[in-house]
Amino acid sequence: MSEIKLRVEGIEKSFPGVKALSNISFTVRKGTVHALCGENGAGKSTLMKVLTGLYKADAGRIYIDEQPVEIRNPIQAREYGISMIAQELNYVSELSVEENLFMGRLPVNRFGKVDWKKVRREAIQFLEEEHLNYRPEQKLKTLTVSDIQMLEIIKAVTNNAQIVLMDEPTSSISEREVGLLFEKIRELKEKGVSIVYISHKMDEVFRIADDITVIRDGAVVSSDRAENLDIDTVIAHMVGRKMENVYPKEPVPIQDTVFEVKDFAAKGIFDNISFYARKGEIVGFAGLVGAGRTEVMRAIYGLDGKDTGKIFINGEEVSIKNPSDAIDKGLIMLSEDRKEYGLIPVRSVTENASLASLKNYFYGGRSHKRKEKKDVAEIFQKMNVKTPTLDTLISSLSGGNAQKVLLARWMLCNPQVMILDEPTRGIDVGAKFEIYKLMTDMVKEGKTIVMVSSELPELIGMCDRIYVMCQGLITGCLDKEEVTQERIMMLATGLLGKSQQKGA
Amino acid sequence: MKNWKALSAVVLSAAMVLAPVTALAEEGPYRVCFVARASADTFAAWLTSEMQKAAEEYDDIELTCVSGEADDAEMAKQLENCITKQYDYVIVQSNNNAAQAPYVKAIADAGIPVVTTNPTTHQADLDGETGDPEVDNAVMEGTGTVDADPVAQAAVGAQRAVEEVPENANVVVFRGPSGNYHAEKRREAWDTYFFDVRDDVTILYEDYANWNNDEAMALMETWVQGGTHIDAIISMNDNMAAGAIEAVRNNTDYIAEDGTPSFLAYGVDGTAQGCLLIKEGLLTATALQDAGEIAALNMSYAEKVLHGEMDYTEVNDYVDAPEINADNVDEFIQIYVANGEISESDL
Amino acid sequence: MKSSKASTYLQRFSIYIVLIAMFVACSLLSPYFLSANNLMNVARQLCVGILLAYAEMILIVSGFLDLSIGSVLALAGVLSVSTFKSTHSMLLALVVAFAVGVACNMINAVFVAQFDVPAFIATLGMQQVARGIALYYTGGANILQLGKYVKLGQGMVGKVPVPVIIVLCITVVVWYLFNHTRYGRNLYAIGGNRKAAEASGIDTRKNIFISYAIVGVLAGLAGAIFMARNNSGIPNGAVGYEMTGLTAAIVGGTSFSGGVGTVMGTVAGAFIIGFLENIMNLIGVNSYIQSIIEGAIIVLAVAFDIRSKNRKTTKQIMAVKDEKK
Repeated sequence: MSEIKLRVEGIEKSFPGVKALSNISFTVRKGTVHALCGENGAGKSTLMKVLTGLYKADAGRIYIDEQPVEIRNPIQAREYGISMIAQELNYVSELSVEENLFMGRLPVNRFGKVDWKKVRREAIQFLEEEHLNYRPEQKLKTLTVSDIQMLEIIKAVTNNAQIVLMDEPTSSISEREVGLLFEKIRELKEKGVSIVYISHKMDEVFRIADDITVIRDGAVVSSDRAENLDIDTVIAHMVGRKMENVYPKEPVPIQDTVFEVKDFAAKGIFDNISFYARKGEIVGFAGLVGAGRTEVMRAIYGLDGKDTGKIFINGEEVSIKNPSDAIDKGLIMLSEDRKEYGLIPVRSVTENASLASLKNYFYGGRSHKRKEKKDVAEIFQKMNVKTPTLDTLISSLSGGNAQKVLLARWMLCNPQVMILDEPTRGIDVGAKFEIYKLMTDMVKEGKTIVMVSSELPELIGMCDRIYVMCQGLITGCLDKEEVTQERIMMLATGLLGKSQQKGA
Repeated sequence: MKNWKALSAVVLSAAMVLAPVTALAEEGPYRVCFVARASADTFAAWLTSEMQKAAEEYDDIELTCVSGEADDAEMAKQLENCITKQYDYVIVQSNNNAAQAPYVKAIADAGIPVVTTNPTTHQADLDGETGDPEVDNAVMEGTGTVDADPVAQAAVGAQRAVEEVPENANVVVFRGPSGNYHAEKRREAWDTYFFDVRDDVTILYEDYANWNNDEAMALMETWVQGGTHIDAIISMNDNMAAGAIEAVRNNTDYIAEDGTPSFLAYGVDGTAQGCLLIKEGLLTATALQDAGEIAALNMSYAEKVLHGEMDYTEVNDYVDAPEINADNVDEFIQIYVANGEISESDL
Repeated sequence: MKSSKASTYLQRFSIYIVLIAMFVACSLLSPYFLSANNLMNVARQLCVGILLAYAEMILIVSGFLDLSIGSVLALAGVLSVSTFKSTHSMLLALVVAFAVGVACNMINAVFVAQFDVPAFIATLGMQQVARGIALYYTGGANILQLGKYVKLGQGMVGKVPVPVIIVLCITVVVWYLFNHTRYGRNLYAIGGNRKAAEASGIDTRKNIFISYAIVGVLAGLAGAIFMARNNSGIPNGAVGYEMTGLTAAIVGGTSFSGGVGTVMGTVAGAFIIGFLENIMNLIGVNSYIQSIIEGAIIVLAVAFDIRSKNRKTTKQIMAVKDEKK
């Protein structure tokens, strides 16, 4: 029997007016993966902050190796061997790989000068050991998100962490990289490191976890060995009700082609992109991270330039030079990066929701704010957006609710064609389900959806047809009937695509 | 072949154009530099243009005017440039005497005749005060000076005020920038000639308005709210006096409907604005600091020094500070009409 | 529950609380402070500063700023004054003031919007250029004998100074722009997250041009009032006034990181500074000491404001969780 590494007992934490954590207890065994599941807002983040010393618990005890410890700040947490991989990575994009690796512990000589030779030497050795294909002087901004995440994880481990807390580590990396990550996690387990793994992705949780604890509304609902649980039970525990079907797809009659893209190309990024979408249809775009799916969509939407290509809406060619043109033509795009291209964090949920349809609320030289509030309130109700008031800052909503507000922004424009790029990234199971449901409602209303996603199950569950991209090219299109994860992966990795291209 | 011809033609003509210039630089007119304290300062701007006018009188003097933009670092740069460019004669109007003193000395040490003007740089600016007035008030060693005497200037108004200011009067004082030689000396003169004599007078408020119109106006606007009637405005220059007067222009407690003021006001400089205010009856008196005269005097000494008629360290002269008041203001206004600062039609 | 609601109000209106505290303190410090004349005097002194504060607020809210406004004010002012002197037309003089202000700021906008030069640099350049032109044009000398032009700065309508009336009108216009036009919303969005605003179909370049045009009009108007108040065209006037404007806007709760700021907050910010300077002059504090006190109080006021706002945000996060229960 493996010994207990971390024991949490009766943790309580209140904020003015709210009890965030009540009587949280669970144990993490040495060399195992302990998954923490729960909807956003369930209290996982607060718990993490207590464990890393950012918050002080009102009551309860933390034991490491069965010794009671008091964690007052993150530095102390690190000394106890607790390391955290945050969901929203905090990195300085202008720094180099080696500077990032040694951040906060740069070796200095006795005059206080940084020993850059040593840094370089160790960085190279380290990158080689970990089979990472970067140069130490490369700036972080030249790396992909998943590369940086991998770097963070490895960095934590080299800091001699005994307990690694991972918050949604796979929210922005591709399937293949998830494989790499899990391999790394297994390696860590063998070295006796304990991992607390937070994720909404049930398939991943069951692939990797030894124990699963479910938290709902700040309290532990269940805590058990993974082999005693199944996905449905865990989801039921999380949402407090039984989930009938993860993907609420309903059959919708598919009509004429509404949206067609022909011969889109941008040198060195993507080429020869042609596809169409019909009324009532959800069309998926699958591919590995870096396949060029987002780039294609951004070019269509007028956010980035293109070299060639035509767009047809209802059979008529339209010219889209910027997002404003696109919106006028009834085409909108929900960006994959909520933070960078979506949220105006310092403004209210109402202002965020009405941003793309301001001309409906400001015209004739005056404002029509009552109408704005009414429309926003209506759509929020329809979409089940949870916000304390309509004047609440959007930055204080959970990821799922914020995403729904952004979706509401586009619904208020009443578009014909919606490009949704990773619409469920980083949001919890309950909110995901609601977004799927909204998508179904939208196509039922006669809209057309193009959905880009890195999560194959949701593409397969929601789409009528799926285009697969690899290295800037469309390598295939699969109908609902013929689609399987394997076939998508074959096309996405170029195994099938190449032969198909040769044939064509 | 054709190209070569064209090229040689260009080179030849260029040489012909350049030849006289280089020749001039060697033996042509004397190169004199005037370093003004600022270009955005009314008096400094006036002095600069008078310097240029005065220099035109001398065929063999070529005057370059630069400005320190009221910034000591910029002043230092300009003064160092004077050494680099090897001028034959340098006239310096300091922004901050103490700050510029070492740079002025460096010019003298480089063997270039240097004369400080409005204000004079003293030995004490370089070494610090010794307490011995004879040493402290001496012109800095190795330099000459042409200046207006700030004490004499301020004394003009102060001596009048002794007679004019009513008994137990309440007054306000506007000061120039702290550390500025003329600002401090003018203020000292007011102590010597007025406040020491009239100990019945109360200073209600006193503050630095840094020679500025708008700063003085803001101060005065607030001070008049203090409830006690201000009987006299004592300002170290006309600019600040003008700002203070504008602050009470629509205040019937200070200026009656018919335009008669219930206060006295003293300035220094005799600027166009000051003269207009005297004409209006709002400014009681000021003393002229005549930039034209300072400039003319400077240039005549420059000519003498450059021709070897005298040594530049012997240059030590002060212009007069004639009083301007309601009786003689018209003749001064005529000077400003002539130079275009005042338009006759608007009088 | 009631007390927590009260504290939310306290936090929401923190800057007004600072203003009221200031007001009370001032009236205790000097018996003359509360007189109608003195309050009107403060209002009159603040006129130019408030116009500049609006200008800076418009820009800071959308993530930019203008360091050239003091110089542009001076240039617009002296050109306006000399136009008046040669034509005796107040209308023409004002048109010139606006035109000069707008022209300078269109150059700012070209660099900021088209060439993506940081606003700090672009307007720093304009600061020098505009001041240089003003000095060159006047030869560094003040323009005198303004005649009726001074009415703009010194005139009275009944008991209210003309510039105060002008600023009141401008306040209504700016308030309307921010609260009741699409342009106002666009500014908040651009400042809050420029990329998101663009992705939502907002033409950021167009809005930058509009903003700088408005700033130009405000600078021109401020220039005309400034010169009229001083009864002379002063080419070296208003040096450093961009800081006066920036300070009022920031003290009034405008966030330097963009997207946040209100017109009323800016007015409050301007009055906090105005009252502070007024009371110190009334009780005769030396101007060097004034500078020390002013700096300290400004930082404290902003710190208090930020602290209470932070607490508000935490509360809202908690409120969301609360509702989930």
